[in-house]
Amino acid sequence: MQGASKAPAAVARQKKEKPSWGKRLQNFKENSPYLLMILPAILVVFLFNYLPIYGVLIAFQDFMPGDKILSSETIWVGFQNFSRFFSDVQFWPLMKNTFLLCIIGFIIGFPLPILVSLSLNALKHKKAGKIFQTIYTAPHFISLVVLVGMLQLFFGRYGLVNNLAASLGGNRISYFLESSAFRPMYILSSNWQDFGWSAVIYIAALSNVDPVQHEAAMIDGATRFQRVLHVDIPAIMPMISVMLIMSIGGLMGVGYEKALLMQTDGNLAVSELIATYVYKRGLTGVPDQAYATAIGLFNSVINVVLLIIANTTSKRFSENSLW
Amino acid sequence: MTVKNPAVKMKIKESHALKDTKGDKIFFICNALFLGLLALIILYPLYFIVIASFSDPDAVLGGQVVLAPVNITFEGYQKVFQRADIWTGYWNTIWYTIVTVILALAVTVPAGWGLSRKTTPGKKFWMLYFIIPMFFGGGLIPFYNVMSSLHLINSPWAVILPAVMSVWNLFMTKTFFESSIPEGMLEAARIDGAGKFRTFVSIVLPLSKAIIAVMALYYAVGQWNSYFNAMIFLQDEKKYPLQLVLKEILIASESTVGGSGETILQQYRLANQLKYVSVIVSSLPVLCLYPFVQKYFAQGVMIGSLKG
Amino acid sequence: MKMKKLLALLLLVAMAVSLTACSSNKKEEPKAETPAANTAENTAASANPLVDTYGFQWTDASAPILNEKGAQEIAFTVYSSKNASALDYNDMKIMADLFAATNVQVNWENVSESVYSQQKNLIFGNAENRPDAIYHAGMGAGEIIKYAKRKVLVPISDYLDYMPNFRQLLESRPDIKAQLINIEDGKIYSLPRIEEMGLLQNPNLLFLNVNWTREAIAAGAVDGLTDDQLKDGLALTSAQMEQILTYFRDHDMNGNGKTDDERPLSFVYNNWQGNQCDLYGMFGLNDNLEHRVVVDGQVTYTITDERFRDATNFIAGWVDQGLIDKVSFEQSQDNFLANGKGLETYGAFYWWESETVVSNPENYIVCSPMIGPDGSQTICVSNNPEISTGEVILFSTCKYPEVLLAYFDRYYDPVISAQINYGPIGIVYEENRDDQGMLVQKPLPEGVTSDELRLQNAPLGIINLGEYAWNNVVHMEPRAQLRLERLQLCAKPFVPENVKPCPNLQFTLEELNTLSNYETNLNDYIRTNLIAWLMKGGVSDAAWQSFQNDLNGRVNLSGIQQVYQNAYDRYTAK
Repeated sequence: MQGASKAPAAVARQKKEKPSWGKRLQNFKENSPYLLMILPAILVVFLFNYLPIYGVLIAFQDFMPGDKILSSETIWVGFQNFSRFFSDVQFWPLMKNTFLLCIIGFIIGFPLPILVSLSLNALKHKKAGKIFQTIYTAPHFISLVVLVGMLQLFFGRYGLVNNLAASLGGNRISYFLESSAFRPMYILSSNWQDFGWSAVIYIAALSNVDPVQHEAAMIDGATRFQRVLHVDIPAIMPMISVMLIMSIGGLMGVGYEKALLMQTDGNLAVSELIATYVYKRGLTGVPDQAYATAIGLFNSVINVVLLIIANTTSKRFSENSLW
Repeated sequence: MTVKNPAVKMKIKESHALKDTKGDKIFFICNALFLGLLALIILYPLYFIVIASFSDPDAVLGGQVVLAPVNITFEGYQKVFQRADIWTGYWNTIWYTIVTVILALAVTVPAGWGLSRKTTPGKKFWMLYFIIPMFFGGGLIPFYNVMSSLHLINSPWAVILPAVMSVWNLFMTKTFFESSIPEGMLEAARIDGAGKFRTFVSIVLPLSKAIIAVMALYYAVGQWNSYFNAMIFLQDEKKYPLQLVLKEILIASESTVGGSGETILQQYRLANQLKYVSVIVSSLPVLCLYPFVQKYFAQGVMIGSLKG
Repeated sequence: MKMKKLLALLLLVAMAVSLTACSSNKKEEPKAETPAANTAENTAASANPLVDTYGFQWTDASAPILNEKGAQEIAFTVYSSKNASALDYNDMKIMADLFAATNVQVNWENVSESVYSQQKNLIFGNAENRPDAIYHAGMGAGEIIKYAKRKVLVPISDYLDYMPNFRQLLESRPDIKAQLINIEDGKIYSLPRIEEMGLLQNPNLLFLNVNWTREAIAAGAVDGLTDDQLKDGLALTSAQMEQILTYFRDHDMNGNGKTDDERPLSFVYNNWQGNQCDLYGMFGLNDNLEHRVVVDGQVTYTITDERFRDATNFIAGWVDQGLIDKVSFEQSQDNFLANGKGLETYGAFYWWESETVVSNPENYIVCSPMIGPDGSQTICVSNNPEISTGEVILFSTCKYPEVLLAYFDRYYDPVISAQINYGPIGIVYEENRDDQGMLVQKPLPEGVTSDELRLQNAPLGIINLGEYAWNNVVHMEPRAQLRLERLQLCAKPFVPENVKPCPNLQFTLEELNTLSNYETNLNDYIRTNLIAWLMKGGVSDAAWQSFQNDLNGRVNLSGIQQVYQNAYDRYTAK
């Protein structure tokens, strides 16, 4: 921890005095091994991410598969694909549904793995901790189809939950037809499935906390709970910050599969997301790669803006940041 | 690595040596209750999948399967395991996964270390370089055409190579290195005259078993569960990974074109059972491996090697 | 080189002159600009190397299309998805038989249906390396227009001379032709699948539990209904049905000691079969899932009709009273089917047939549509088409499209169609036909069901099985026959003369854009509102009024309706 806090100061000092070209060259030589270490990653990303990236241009074209993306025959349509989306009567409802689902999901889904990892780390009985951990990660392997299938069985009109409620004298509720039940079911089931899996990275980070710090805190008379607050959390703070920034940067990127599986006429008003809408439009009328790409691009731009905001904020308040 | 060093033993003894306060006790109990409750919420649906996988599918759909299997049948398992391709699927997935993990670690861990150093030339530029593809992609058709021009169509490498780098994982690794490797040790190494590579191999890596284990796990499970690239790029069914084989079996059983009422019914029933069977068949092997990964998360490991 | 070309040209001119002189029966076809059309004239033209070298012929349907040399040297690659239980098409007997009969070598590239849906765009996208054709292509009208514009597809209508069966089909069935023709340039780009059994137009039938109903009658709970009326074709009034369902709801009909597990009336809401649409027939509406039907040649939306509001309120009343099981609105068809097994719980239900739903179909009778409060008695008219377009397309990179099309044309021969659809002679059918010339089923091999045999050996796909085939070549399956009988009794008589389903229509690019901009929206809007009304007690006049306002306003129903009307007018004009 001490070393880490020293480092930024050193960098700041380095920044102030502009190094000469000679010194820069020497710096480069000295640190070039780091570049070599990054090189394989750079290459892989170049091959599989940068080479196909020209495909974003489709968003500005009237495109059908097989068309050349850059040639004299390419039909450029400017921002027409975007303006079609913005002028769609569904535009605002879709934005709202997507945003609400994502933001609520994020508010619940982000802290939960952290909480669980801290809890597990503070558990006295280490062996039980390991068993819990294994149990928590298991749902990650359940496919979406099975997950939604179970939801339908458990929350269906004659399912487990309703049978229980009925035997207690309650009314049967068709959860899948209630728009108010869609977001809770979607978000809670997603969290149910993935909190343990996301916790793994924090558990690993916690395992590298120096026990000496715990000892010191105990000698100072800190309770276990206080040690969670003052030793454990600060230790994984950098990881939390980075995960936070990246999650915010991916906030709007919800896929269509699960929402589509859970969609019914009854919850359509809240379950129709940008992703599901684009998917459905692709099925009726003219299949439209360009339109889908344009909406994807629009989504990316929102996400980039969110990422920059998150990163700047984090940098200002915690000196942890992605870049 | 020496886990059996005195520092760890001390750490283990520590909790016994110091007496818990009353507040501590309450905290421990609440904590254990919280975790136990979570485990219960997780366990029931898992248990349900197991019993549903060998119950009569009509009973499952009809909501009669709650606590115990009803009309036990192994038809689903039989259907899966009588197919020869399930075994080639297993084998393919295993070797795709192993190769992916080895390559992924070789790519991600050094890159994470390189990016975590403040003195890396052009660090900001490279960060940007890695962030951009997180947001902007060219879509499937350009990707396919690139893979085609790399002659990767119908090659297992089309499944492996794109999976050896995930930017998320790279940034997690980077962050771990930034926050968990004490600068003091690196300083000491530099004074000893160790080069950048040697420092990385002999000091950083031994301190990073936890993150390596996590990365291995994330990459392995990522590959294990994936089928999309295989579906797009592999034409030869002998190269299909397990998940794709299972998907095909499931779809085969759902397909009802040209069948009569009887057949359609049989297929619906089978498809509904196969859903649960396939979860078990595909996830059990990985779940069994998890405890082996877990042991690298043991607390105090790093400090042990620090002092030892 | 130049000499050769000149010679060929001269020959062509000479041919053209002689042709215009002697052939009077040839129709004038406005397609002379394509080279294929030139060679299409069926003379012993030596200008066509296919005819010279490979013995290409297309007039004699019983002779091979190519000679031995052609069989050796010409091969086509056809990409096709296949049913998972089907053999690889390269190993299918019917394919081997077709090769033996035609000498046209087709190499099939089979993928599963799910893989195909993912790879379809990639096949088009990988422009340098496309197959010659796609079978089971599943091409929508919009795709075809856009690809046709880019000259990716072979205009099949330019090659009709090589396709006697298909040509004859188009001539005798202008309605099919109208469903295929691309509005933008007047050409045909895909081959259709035609399987006309008359089963799809009415996808629901009402089944009623006889024993339970008998109990209700015995208890005196039903007015004006006697035991001996309880047979297939029974027409109940909505009031009688209400009494019956109420009785089912309140009594322990299946005798398991519980009165709450009986499901009076069930269906699968908005499913393609066994849905709620027949209920609207009580108010004289021929509803369907799109709520779009053709009345007196006018494309009509049932949701704009006042009777739709009344019907919705009436049905919502039944839902409210628990006469319609609320689970009908949320269950999948798997749930619905599973619940029918074991203990009897269904009082009445809508489905394609009773045999798949319940374990004891003999306990259920099929009913005619219910008679509504004002005496209306009609039924759902669905838009499920019996003709699917876009089944096969050829890529313009195909070197000898005329040969491949002549080959595919054989599929439309009724005897071949039957084998494509049900399995080949020698496996499924006997070599010899019966006295009437009908194909005869072979006895099944040990341990194989007829479905398994069919799915394994029949590629399905492009066929022409219509009235002629059912009368002269092949019997319908027993299951289809049974359903047809039930439809004759309980559905067909109740479809008004002036009401027609909306067929496959062809749209202009502009019309398609209107549809893709507004139709998903319209559907979402209707679906959201309708289920709320049905589940929550009905629709108030104010809500109905604002619904109508929205339909005419922001949802742009009139625009969509106009598009369909224009397309339909073009369709009927042909």
